[in-house]
Amino acid sequence: MKSFKLMTIPYIIWSIIMIILPMVMILFYAFITKGNSVRQFIFTFDNFLKFFSDPVFFDVLKRSVYIALITTLFCIILGYPVAYIIARAKPKTSAILVLLVTLPTWINMLVRTYAWRSILQENGIAVALLTLMGIKNVKLIETEFAVILGMVYNFIPFMILQIYNSLSKLDENYLTAAADLGANRVQTFLRITLPLSVPGIVSGITLVFLPAVSSFFIPKLLGGGQFVMIGNVIENQFLTAGNWSFGSAISLIMAILIIISMYITRRLDAKITGDGGDDK
Amino acid sequence: MKKIIALLTASMLALTACNAPATQTTSDRAATESNNVLKFYNWGEYIGEDVISRFEDEYNAKVICEYYDSNEMMYTKLQAGDKYDVLIPSDYMIERLLNEDMLQPINKDEIPNMSNLTDSVKNLSYDSDNTYSVPFFQGSVGIVYNKTKISPEEIKNQGWEILRNEKYKDDIYMYDSERDAFMIALKALGYSMNTDNEKEIDAAYQWLLEQKERVNPVYVTDEVIDSMANGLKSMGVVYSGDAAYVLRENPDMAYFAPDEGTNLWSDAMVIPKNAENPELANKFINFMLEDESALDNTLTVGYTTSNKNVYEQVTADGGDFCDNEAYVIRTDNKKDEVFHDNEVIRAKLSELLIKVKA
Repeated sequence: MKSFKLMTIPYIIWSIIMIILPMVMILFYAFITKGNSVRQFIFTFDNFLKFFSDPVFFDVLKRSVYIALITTLFCIILGYPVAYIIARAKPKTSAILVLLVTLPTWINMLVRTYAWRSILQENGIAVALLTLMGIKNVKLIETEFAVILGMVYNFIPFMILQIYNSLSKLDENYLTAAADLGANRVQTFLRITLPLSVPGIVSGITLVFLPAVSSFFIPKLLGGGQFVMIGNVIENQFLTAGNWSFGSAISLIMAILIIISMYITRRLDAKITGDGGDDK
Repeated sequence: MKKIIALLTASMLALTACNAPATQTTSDRAATESNNVLKFYNWGEYIGEDVISRFEDEYNAKVICEYYDSNEMMYTKLQAGDKYDVLIPSDYMIERLLNEDMLQPINKDEIPNMSNLTDSVKNLSYDSDNTYSVPFFQGSVGIVYNKTKISPEEIKNQGWEILRNEKYKDDIYMYDSERDAFMIALKALGYSMNTDNEKEIDAAYQWLLEQKERVNPVYVTDEVIDSMANGLKSMGVVYSGDAAYVLRENPDMAYFAPDEGTNLWSDAMVIPKNAENPELANKFINFMLEDESALDNTLTVGYTTSNKNVYEQVTADGGDFCDNEAYVIRTDNKKDEVFHDNEVIRAKLSELLIKVKA
């Protein structure tokens, strides 16, 4: 037993370097400001005060959460039926369908988002199709619609796979039993299938909401540089403004926000499935 | 788009080290034997197609190319201790490198082709007698506009203020960098682009906020090149070298640098202090100034050459840049300025710009 414990040491060291250390540095940077030559840095809460005292940053945060929520909602609405169909299909078909869902993710996300840019832009294929259908003068690129579309497109495979996972574990006998006891298909779905797939939805929400709320290149490419989300502010603080402390403070605020939202979704999960919120 | 392609080609070229694989083996061996290696750090897509291979053949040398997409990225690598023999930074970055004593003087005896330089690019303020730098490309910042929608008189009368004309709501590209966005606002208000006056900066900030309110411009970087070449919007802020390309692609487009003044910039070749092969670096710089290389460079990249013979050739009747107003850099406007870097102001403008956009 002891020898196995030794084997975890490389992993622990790796985690410390790659996960813990960067977080500690963010925490450190968030609470300091550049000092003078004697004291290199000064402990301060200014970075946080600055964020909350300037309505501009708070508006950006609200917009980010709003866009991420809409994205997550669409991923559930569009992803659930797909996951359901895959889970109900014959094993061979469902293997192919899973492959098809994951296929786009083999290509770099940035390249795929660039492709959407040329599809949606003024002389792109989407506008041309709409014009053929008689809908003229629509503006698709550099709108909120384009950003949400890009996000749903990029993140929906994560949602589908999570829901599919929990649906495929569903014991067929429950459904037979429900039918046996006189439940119709809608009742079976609402009272058996849906509650049992909640853990999948919850982990899907985590996998979609988190990258969506902090995304920075999708809004930049599809919304234009003036479509600013919180990820763009963080990028700006680190790369061009050179204010690592403020950037770290915003990152920390985001992290807290994400922890809170994860807590809420887990509580919801626990309430619905009634198994203590453990979604494995 | 250009950036991505540049990155992809950069990584691919880095693997093949600028050399056609077929010719690589022989010159490779010869080069390593004689230790004749040049490390060249350049912007992506910023050199003629055959220049490197011709240099390698002629001097029996091997050139290792690396690429950057911003002066700051190049500076960071240099700071980290990476060694290069030739760099092509912009004016303000050369100023900073000189202040930090990171460059070595060029050997003018080795560079007789200095006589090919256009007068207007010589002896600029960042290196007043070209002791350390040899100009490569130059340009300005201006507006590319669609002649079928905007008349030359209209844009001439309104200058930078046309970027706030409600007539062109949702029809304008701005350049997504604090330096260029604030240059426009400051120039429109009649201030210097290098100001550190709080009131002037605040006025420029208000100018940009109002612009956003009135015309809702889209902030882009290199996407503007393809977008304007495809005529997606009526006007956009573009660097003159990229504008020269747009004008070649789309005859409806024209270029204008407003009379209120603009940013005149130049990129020049320099040799870092820690260069391992300064001798070859001087030869390379001289080679880049040859007419044949300069012609290849300017035709491939589209930026305005520093070589006066080539400049005359391509702007003459029937030349590639004949009647291309973006290629001709004006020198007679007193309000045009060269950018000087100020770290504190830059950080401030950067934060103000993200507040404008948000």
